[in-house]
Amino acid sequence: MTSALDTFPVTQMPADGHYGPAGIHGVSVRVFDPPALALLAARRGGASALTVAAHATLGLALADAPRLARANGLGTIGAGPGRWLVLAEAPEDLTARLAPLAAHAAITEQTDGYVGFELSGVRTRDVLAKGVAVDLDPAAFPPGAAATTNVAHINVTFWREPGEERFVFLVARSYRVAFARFLIASGAEYGIAFAHRG
Amino acid sequence: MRIPCPYCGARDASEFAYLGDATLTRPDPAAPDADEAFHAYVYLRDNPAGAHSEWWYHSGGCRRWVKVARDTTSHAIAGAELAGGAR
Amino acid sequence: MSRLPSGGRVDRARPLSFRFDGKTYRGFAGDTLASALLANQVRLVGRSFKYHRPRGILSAGPEEPNALVELRSGDRREPNTRATVAELYDGLDAASQNRWPSLALDALSLNGLVAPFLGAGFYYKTFMWPAKFWESVYEPAIRRAAGLGRAAPGKDPDHYDKAHAFCDVLVIGAGPAGLMAALAAGRAGARVILADEDFLAGGRLNSDVARIGDEPSHAFAARTVAELASLPNVRIMTRTSVFGIYDGEYGAVERVSDHLATPAPFQPRQRLWKIAAKRAILCAGATERPIVFGGNDRPGVMLAGSARSYANRYGVAVGKSVAFFANNDSAWTSAFDMKVAGVNVTTLIDIRREVAPALAARAKALGIDVRTDTQVTGTTGQPFGGALTGLSIRTGGRNGRLAADTLAMSGGWSPSVHLTCHHGGKPVWQEDIAAFVPGRTPPGLSVAGAARGTYGLGDTLAEGARRGTEAAGDLGFAAALPDLPATEDTPAGITAFWHVQGSKGPAFVDQQNDVTAKDLGIAYKEGFRAVELMKRYTTLGMATDQGRTSNVNGLAIMAELTGASIMETGTTIFRPPYTPVSLGVLGGHHRGKDFRPTRLTPTHAWAAEQGAVFIETGPWLRAQYFPKAGETDWLTTVNREAKAVRASVGLIDVSTFGKIDLQGRDVGAFLDRVYINTFSTLAVGKARYGVMLREDGIVMDDGTTARLAPEHYVMTTTTANAAKVFQHLEFCLQVLWPELDVTLASVSEQWAQIAIAGPRARDVLARVVDTGVDVSNEGLPFMGAIERTVMGGVKARLFRLSFSGELGYEIAVPARYGEALARALMTAGEEFGITPYGIEALGVMRIEKGHVSGNELSGQTSAGDLGFGKMASTKKDYIGRVMAARPGLKDPDRPAFVGFKPVDKGQRLRAGAHFLTIGAPADMAHDEGYMTSVAHSPHLGHWIGLGLLKNGPARIGERVRAYDPVRGNDFEVEVCSPAFIDPNGERLRG
Repeated sequence: MTSALDTFPVTQMPADGHYGPAGIHGVSVRVFDPPALALLAARRGGASALTVAAHATLGLALADAPRLARANGLGTIGAGPGRWLVLAEAPEDLTARLAPLAAHAAITEQTDGYVGFELSGVRTRDVLAKGVAVDLDPAAFPPGAAATTNVAHINVTFWREPGEERFVFLVARSYRVAFARFLIASGAEYGIAFAHRG
Repeated sequence: MRIPCPYCGARDASEFAYLGDATLTRPDPAAPDADEAFHAYVYLRDNPAGAHSEWWYHSGGCRRWVKVARDTTSHAIAGAELAGGAR
Repeated sequence: MSRLPSGGRVDRARPLSFRFDGKTYRGFAGDTLASALLANQVRLVGRSFKYHRPRGILSAGPEEPNALVELRSGDRREPNTRATVAELYDGLDAASQNRWPSLALDALSLNGLVAPFLGAGFYYKTFMWPAKFWESVYEPAIRRAAGLGRAAPGKDPDHYDKAHAFCDVLVIGAGPAGLMAALAAGRAGARVILADEDFLAGGRLNSDVARIGDEPSHAFAARTVAELASLPNVRIMTRTSVFGIYDGEYGAVERVSDHLATPAPFQPRQRLWKIAAKRAILCAGATERPIVFGGNDRPGVMLAGSARSYANRYGVAVGKSVAFFANNDSAWTSAFDMKVAGVNVTTLIDIRREVAPALAARAKALGIDVRTDTQVTGTTGQPFGGALTGLSIRTGGRNGRLAADTLAMSGGWSPSVHLTCHHGGKPVWQEDIAAFVPGRTPPGLSVAGAARGTYGLGDTLAEGARRGTEAAGDLGFAAALPDLPATEDTPAGITAFWHVQGSKGPAFVDQQNDVTAKDLGIAYKEGFRAVELMKRYTTLGMATDQGRTSNVNGLAIMAELTGASIMETGTTIFRPPYTPVSLGVLGGHHRGKDFRPTRLTPTHAWAAEQGAVFIETGPWLRAQYFPKAGETDWLTTVNREAKAVRASVGLIDVSTFGKIDLQGRDVGAFLDRVYINTFSTLAVGKARYGVMLREDGIVMDDGTTARLAPEHYVMTTTTANAAKVFQHLEFCLQVLWPELDVTLASVSEQWAQIAIAGPRARDVLARVVDTGVDVSNEGLPFMGAIERTVMGGVKARLFRLSFSGELGYEIAVPARYGEALARALMTAGEEFGITPYGIEALGVMRIEKGHVSGNELSGQTSAGDLGFGKMASTKKDYIGRVMAARPGLKDPDRPAFVGFKPVDKGQRLRAGAHFLTIGAPADMAHDEGYMTSVAHSPHLGHWIGLGLLKNGPARIGERVRAYDPVRGNDFEVEVCSPAFIDPNGERLRG
């Protein structure tokens, strides 16, 4: 990849720090472990009952579309027809909290399945253009829009947060180093700050 | 080529896995002519120049099987629908 | 200097220094290498491909066939760079190619003297015999003599990038048509990308001297570009070549740093763009054609429009006395322009008897000598370097001579239709302009301006504006046609003319590949007349310039020979890429170890600490074995690991297996349909081994599936087939049986899974589970599967399974705890000497136990072949059942799964060896199967194997021949049960 990564083997997470020309800060990356994450999948014929139940018991508005919605400390991200990733803002037993929906949905623990990458900064979309084959123009991909796609041969689910240039990616845990390498190789041109949440 | 996934929107063909003819129906395994019918189902394919209904699996996206109407001579896609209806 | 005293779009306040063939020159910012060389009166810049003829600069653009140089030095050396598009930078270093010892004095120019023997097809005719000479003599000699530049000696030190872009309207080319198209669409609010391969937008507006409204054309271009740049919905990409159309997506290369000595830190050299555009407008302009006559390849002979471009855009006089040779009006305008700019234009030679009176009058007023009804029949040049000194001409029947150091020629213009061919469109011949224009265009692409044969400036601006308006309007934008400024249009009359008959010396058609008119005559005589055959036989148009200046002349000359029309003769079509694309940019960052992503297991760091040697298995890196100090080869290590497991206990990360959660009322029924055996009857808390088939009856995958709750199962797949099995299950649920209440979730990443095996495995497990968790033979019997906690409250799934044949467990914990679990197991097992083992030892033990794996699940084996026939339920249907009953798959003579041991226990078995009945000939007719897997068994002390042998299970005890001609092995083996150890399974039930 770029000289920015020459000192890191593909088996090791790149160190926290700044990659790229000194004094240029185009994008910041923060790597985090999801506090709690689960997959909610409607059972056969259960999608509408699930939507009603989710709203009634948890106050969640489940849109059957690739979008992010937030309520009561939970974000729901449409990942496929009748399927949502549910991301908690703080650590909790998410499968227990979602248990009232079990009659209508399969609930699968995924807290450890993914690693989060939050990207922000004025050059975020320029970095992402190097791997994301989805139109990220605000008109086509406004805040709250989500997508599941392949980035540099890595499957990811991501969405755009409210705020000018902020995107959050969920990446399968075994690919986390590979995804970090994609970001640094692509972002070094614009100056990239890479950090793990403390 | 970009394929219009009904859930995800238009996506690059590299996100999809191709299977083929979407007009086939799995035969009744209990029918007396099941051997013949399965032979046809597994092996016999038309190779039309023009309109073709075919299965693509959106492995890189929503993981849905999508029935795509594609013209095999121009790659023009007339439409796409999810398999299995609403779940 | 032949730099004109003023004018041009170069920045005379920014002088630049550069080197060519070791000599230092000066140019200006805004120059190309070609314009700077011409400004320094360097005319000889290279030697031709085959005959080593001296060559100069033919053009001022991407069509250049001759002025190819090696740009930069060392590992950044880039061969075959067109000097006409190489942007000058301070310190640029270039060298001429294909010459030895020097450009002016080239030893191999003798090839020119033997040219009669090097004509079309000479490779095929000359080097036929003797065959063995081809590799040893002919090919090396040809490669030395004929060739272009040299590749860089080492690894490219720069990096390359790839990116995606999206727009409503992509405008390809920023000349007059492209600027207006972008303006119309941009003002309407459409998202526009305007791409041009040049570093300066404007196209011919920078090379012509025309007035648009009340300003010069270059000022109009600059003002329009400024307006476009001010629109937030318009992106202008200069130095960007759109090279191909791929089903609605456009490939482009942006030369980010090619105009710099070295890229700025962290900047890529080039970037590949994949542009998804709803509409595209091709405004690629046109390329001028040379005229084919004797000696038309001398340095000093160039294209007329290019000569004008050097004067107007670069402020360079291409010569001290310039003559023109043409069949059309545009060359006259070029001559007038140059004369006005201060270039000494002496003569206008035109093949036509008459030209428009206005042109003749203007020539007279400017003092240019006009020779109509005249052809150039030959050229003379300097003794060294060959630069042009004079012309032989023929007016009517009379021959004459003219002195000139430059000849600017024009045979008319060829629209740049290349991209319109990328979906199979065939260009169409248009007689009145003597040119091919686009035929059927790719979906969503329209064409404007010279690229579709519209040459008048006013018409071009109008057509661009109209196409831009239409494209935006199609997409729902309220687009208004921009006001069109007034223009003074110049005449564009042409009389088709290709080849001066009876001229002196070789008349070149394709200057890059050294193809002459005579070669086309040979192709005609020998029957290679169809354009595709002519092209391949003569190599016309097959060089890196793809025949931009030669294709039309070549097929017109062939049409003359055959007497057919040009339309009947047809044209070859253009395929992507439009311009050479470096392999580096196609790879982007994906090179070396980053060729594809690497997947790391949850215990990777721990395994590395333990000294593991890793091996790639698909995208995964897995621990292969864990050498200890003093172990000098892998086999020693693997033997130790396998023995330690069988004697005490070992552990291995098995997280790479595919893991799928299945939930719903119908999971049991569903599993019954996808596995050959039954799962609906599986008790909660138990696991079962299952085999699944493809619908054609061949085994797809195997693994264990456990029932954690009445409506909750978890399936494991092999590492290699994880994605394939998931896709298959989704097909069954979404397409075949959408009525079933089953949902799938991949939990491969959620759970780290570690296997512990060996007689002390239970003791180790007991020390990591939480208080009160019963892992006794009763609490967790063989094939048990329970959810409990370990390491103080960590959720865990405990399975009692065995791949090694020993008492074994698999412990799944959330992936973040995988490494902690490995460490806890190491501590818990310390007193038993717990041994980490890798996939080599795992493989040894599964072979000893006779378990199948990837080598046996080869996509060619049925359940019966692998000994699973009795597992298949006869009480239900399942995927593959009907086809598995085909006579061919039921044939008792099919090779079937058995074990093998060498008769001579010292022999090393090899996978891939074929089995033959002893005494039978070693040929395919007597082939009886092959060895699929082998291992050295530390338990038995010799090599063992698994394989597929015709009628194998009935032949246990028999000896067969294991024949391996690839590695030269041929010895006897004994057929045996595949279970080499513990055939009754006492160890794993203990």
